[in-house]
Amino acid sequence: MNIIQTDLLCVGAGLAGERVAIEAADNGFSVICLSIVPARRSHSSAAQGGMQAALGNSAMGEGDSPDVHFADTVKGSDWGCDQEVARLFVDAAPVAMRQMAFWGVPWNRVVPGEQTYYKGGKPFTAFEKPENEGLIHSRNFGGTAKWRTCYTSDGTGHCVLYTLDNRAAQMGVSVVDKVEAIALIHDGAVCMGAIARCLKTGELTAYLARATLVATGGFGRIYRESTNAVICDGGGLITALDTGVVPLGNMEAVQFHPTGIVPTDILVTEGCRGDGGTLLDKNEYRFMPDYEPEKAELASRDVVSRRMTEHMRKGLGVPSPYGDHLWLDIRHLGEHHIRTKLREVDEICQSFLGVDPVHQLIPVRPTQHYSMAGVRTNSDGAAYGLKGLFSAGEAACWDMHGFNRLGGTSLAETVVAGMHVGGTVVEFLSGTETTFKTECMRDAYRKQEDRIKALIHGSNGRENVYGVRNAMFDTIMKGAGIFRNGTDLQESVDKLTEILARARKVGLKSNGLGANQELSLALKIEGQVKLAQCVCFAALNRTESRGAHTREDFPERNDRDWLNRTLATWAKPDDVVPTLNYEPATKVFEIPPGERGYGGGKIIPLEPAPEATPKNKKA
Amino acid sequence: MARMLKFNIFRYNPQDPNSVPHMQAYTIDETESMTLFIVLNRLREEQDPSLQFDFSCRAGICGACGMVINGRPGLACHTKTKDLPEEITLMPLPIFKLMGDLSVDTGTWFRAMYKKIESWCHTKKVFDPAAQEERMDNAVAEAIYELDRCVECGCCVAACGTALMREDFLGATTLNRVARFMLDPRDERTEKEYFDIIGTDEGIFGCMGLLACQDVCPKYLPLQDVLGKLRKKMAFAAVNNILPSFLRKDIKL
Amino acid sequence: MSVPSTATHEGLPVGKLSAYFDWLQMLTGAALILFMWCHLILVSSILLGPGVMNALAWFFEVTYMAQVGGPLIFLAFLLHFVLAARKIPFATGQQRLMLANAKRMRHTDTWLWVIQATTAMGILIMGGIHMWVVLTNLPITAEKSAARIQTGFWFVFYLFLLPMVELHVGIGFYRILVKWGFLDRPGRWVIKKKENLLTGIFIAIGLLSLLRYYFLPLK
Ligand SMILES: Cc1cc2nc3c(=O)[nH]c(=O)nc-3n(C[C@H](O)[C@H](O)[C@H](O)COP(=O)(O)OP(=O)(O)OC[C@H]3O[C@@H](n4cnc5c(N)ncnc54)[C@H](O)[C@@H]3O)c2cc1C
Ligand code: HEM
Ligand code: HEM
Ligand code: SF4
Ligand code: F3S
Ligand code: FES
Repeated sequence: MNIIQTDLLCVGAGLAGERVAIEAADNGFSVICLSIVPARRSHSSAAQGGMQAALGNSAMGEGDSPDVHFADTVKGSDWGCDQEVARLFVDAAPVAMRQMAFWGVPWNRVVPGEQTYYKGGKPFTAFEKPENEGLIHSRNFGGTAKWRTCYTSDGTGHCVLYTLDNRAAQMGVSVVDKVEAIALIHDGAVCMGAIARCLKTGELTAYLARATLVATGGFGRIYRESTNAVICDGGGLITALDTGVVPLGNMEAVQFHPTGIVPTDILVTEGCRGDGGTLLDKNEYRFMPDYEPEKAELASRDVVSRRMTEHMRKGLGVPSPYGDHLWLDIRHLGEHHIRTKLREVDEICQSFLGVDPVHQLIPVRPTQHYSMAGVRTNSDGAAYGLKGLFSAGEAACWDMHGFNRLGGTSLAETVVAGMHVGGTVVEFLSGTETTFKTECMRDAYRKQEDRIKALIHGSNGRENVYGVRNAMFDTIMKGAGIFRNGTDLQESVDKLTEILARARKVGLKSNGLGANQELSLALKIEGQVKLAQCVCFAALNRTESRGAHTREDFPERNDRDWLNRTLATWAKPDDVVPTLNYEPATKVFEIPPGERGYGGGKIIPLEPAPEATPKNKKA
Repeated sequence: MARMLKFNIFRYNPQDPNSVPHMQAYTIDETESMTLFIVLNRLREEQDPSLQFDFSCRAGICGACGMVINGRPGLACHTKTKDLPEEITLMPLPIFKLMGDLSVDTGTWFRAMYKKIESWCHTKKVFDPAAQEERMDNAVAEAIYELDRCVECGCCVAACGTALMREDFLGATTLNRVARFMLDPRDERTEKEYFDIIGTDEGIFGCMGLLACQDVCPKYLPLQDVLGKLRKKMAFAAVNNILPSFLRKDIKL
Repeated sequence: MSVPSTATHEGLPVGKLSAYFDWLQMLTGAALILFMWCHLILVSSILLGPGVMNALAWFFEVTYMAQVGGPLIFLAFLLHFVLAARKIPFATGQQRLMLANAKRMRHTDTWLWVIQATTAMGILIMGGIHMWVVLTNLPITAEKSAARIQTGFWFVFYLFLLPMVELHVGIGFYRILVKWGFLDRPGRWVIKKKENLLTGIFIAIGLLSLLRYYFLPLK
């Protein structure tokens, strides 16, 4: 039995995991980051668009401030966010961007003088102030009042992740890749690390840690069509859910991005629309202004995705062998702009579609993209339910996104939350000692060993793991897609109950030796079905429409009954549905619930209306 | 008419005592817009669940899926079958340690690389959270980004004859990384310090100009230009103090 | 931090030897290229008539270019050999790797290197013999050369040496340009075409000269 001990164990070496790791290493603690893939292949590297921070350096960002950013974020979340956290985020974001600049991110900078930009497909000029020359520039993203998305061409996530990983190497953070955490070590009250399987040799190792961070990113891969990397499979959340005591927040809040390409579901960035790209239907007619006269293509993602689906349901989608889609048009941005500022988009279109976006339209449709849901933490990033367990990034429900995340806020969240949670982890490590209980570790280790043996020998059955996964894919998409309703959701919950039973009977077809990848999937299929069940069950119970959660049978946003957050735990391992609890969405109301200003829809108000709490007041 | 594609895939599981390296043949029907990502996943799901290979982003941006496709290193996820003949041979990248079948360990290689060249901005300044960011010319930022685009897929190393023959050769991706920091005004390393990293036969003077790196790089990094400029820069750095002043040169990257 | 298990000097400043060697390899290579071009003029002047060649040879002789230049070239030749040989794999394993790589990748530039390394071996031996023979039997005249070549042995000898040299020189020229960053990426393809043409022409001129020597009526 391999045992490795450390102060902080980061499960996940994406932006969130590494940022926390750096903070701890900087303060003299030993840190190990685990990752399924080499750190730089984490999904953060795929983010193209950029990161929001109210720096206000660019002409179109003039007058921006954390307050404006705050209002955008709260509206974007459809008042589902924790306003204390949102405030924390907007105030710290500019510092985080500057720190990234200091560490080496080649942000695009302000070029002074008249510059041509695009909005709604039309060019216009803006004057960049000479005194701002060389400061961090920003571009436009959906759902924001100002241009505030900092970017490096369209490789923002890539550059920021490379910079952070460089920094981690400098700080001596030990990043162990091709290792997958498959269970947490805990005694029901304290988390003591994780059991991990090496994806090079198949060996198990017990990592003992005083503090454990889940930063495993999103779980988009419980959907078949997702913009997420194939490693975004929810493994981290599964380890948390399996503890039976750690709740996952707002599992029904799943974001669909308007522009996944058809057929491969690869994302083309919101920056396309930010820079002036438009959406067209089968008649090549630009339909978004009809639905959203003010923001058009740049309303928040939930709204645009819904409008697109609505429009396609009217029969105005473009038929294709892979189902209906719409067109994204960026031709008018011109060859120079596309080949430089939107280069990755250009490459994706050319190499996966054979489409040249300078001359041709890009086939797109709304595609699963982001998990607002995650391990529920307090504003310090400490998970509910287990001491010593933390979470950050997309894996966490820190909750600045509520029911819809704005473009460019997730990448920013990873480093801002990383910075903040890193601080609290350091505090925790400085002030607490942990007693490692060897029997907990041995139990956890043996349990995983036994699971692996059972899978290899087929002791529970010989159910095909891929068959189970395909059934899950079909079911979750039926119930928990963009538009949801009670009937379909109930059906999905029932089906997932059956599928869960099948998942428990999975056995391998191959020999399971070494880094066997069928085994990797088999080890988490049950957990994935549970996650899918959390999504569907929470969505079934939330009888309102808020942000990305849209119930056709309950179209109003119901602040009276549902201004809260779902907390899902899997109380007993043999349960077939999660246990749901609820907590208030936010303890402070800097901005009381109101209209978002886009998306339409009726609101059932909260009575009595809450008073606005002054800025920066903690609950 | 849809083609039937024949795949010859290298198979070996070092963790299985009964496994010996061999080529295994598979056939699969071609579908529209098919990529090797789709092929390999279908093979694993439908024909052989023991098949090992790596993908992450499946969008050509993370560099996880480098393999030798019909003789040439490339990214499997953005290789379309319609650009390939009916018979396709897939091999793991050479040079990197084999994990099993098509999966290799690039992580260890690259981490050793970061350490060797200290792949980070060296500065004596301390970050001041209250201060405005230091200014930078946008053109400089763009030039850095151009070199920062490397996805560490390892294709350039696997394609380089020099790297194949000499284990200690740094490889194009490493030299490119060093060039990236040379360009960056935030990195305060001197020319001499850079020379100590790459001014050797393991570094830039080991490169024989085979340009396979340039020809296989899936992100089209300007490796030819970078290597040429680095050689000139380092070569002049070595002789500038003995050259008469009119021959001295400070090469800009 | 890893503790080295053997004494190591890693991290200490590196010497400049590699850089000097690289300069010298390039400069000797370039000098040899220039020389070969002049050499071609001399040798192929036979096509214009033995008189022209004799005149040229006489010119080199009286200016002492042959007596001094010859050995100097011989030195450059040796120096270049010693330097460039550092890059040539002598272990079979490495040779196989390189060859397998070129084959697998169907990559022209790697093949070009393989050609350069193989021709280099031939040139070392045959060029050495040739220079010895010519330089120990000065002065150069059309008569002597023709007599040598008409023995038949030397004709075949040069038939092998000529393409080897021209290929090596042509590729070497291209390689200097790419290695030292004189070409941008599009420029590379342009030069490669021109270089191939030039090599072809040189080989043709060389062959014609050889034939001319072979059929030159001896007095
Ligand atoms: C295509 C795309 C484009 C995007 N563009 C933008 C954008 O422009 N702006 C923006 O703000 N946001 C964007 N996002 C969202 C944003 O990129 C992600 O939310 C964010 O990068 C998540 O970072 P993270 O650190 O939380 O997780 P990730 O970067 O996903 O890292 C997860 C880490 O956890 C590891 N891991 C996972 N499971 C395990 C396990 N069981 N054991 C061990 N390790 C594990 C992985 O190997 C990885 O290292 C985009 C997302 C996608 C899909
Ligand atoms: C003794 C015989 C020779 C040997 C062993 C030899 C070997 C080599 C090798 C291995 C290279 C490649 C070096 C590299 O890629 O870094 C090379 C390059 C070169 N050779 Fe030769 N060579 C020989 C003779 C010659 C001759 C006679 C000429 C010219 C007439 C010549 C001209 C060149 C040139 C110009 C280059 C390119 C230089 C460079 O890359 O820096 N070589 N040689
Ligand atoms: C200073 C040195 C040299 C001198 C004086 C010299 C001289 C000559 C002369 C006089 C000939 C005519 C044939 C003969 O007399 O045999 C000749 C032919 C030739 N030499 Fe040299 N040579 C020199 C160096 C070299 C070198 C270094 C090479 C290449 C490695 C070379 C390659 C050849 C070839 C290939 C031919 C046949 C050419 C043809 O017919 O086109 N020579 N040389
Ligand atoms: S330089 Fe190109 S080929 Fe080499 S690792 Fe980077 S992206 Fe891959
Ligand atoms: S292939 Fe290798 S030899 Fe140099 S030019 Fe590229 S690194
Ligand atoms: S899987 Fe990321 S580049 Fe191919």
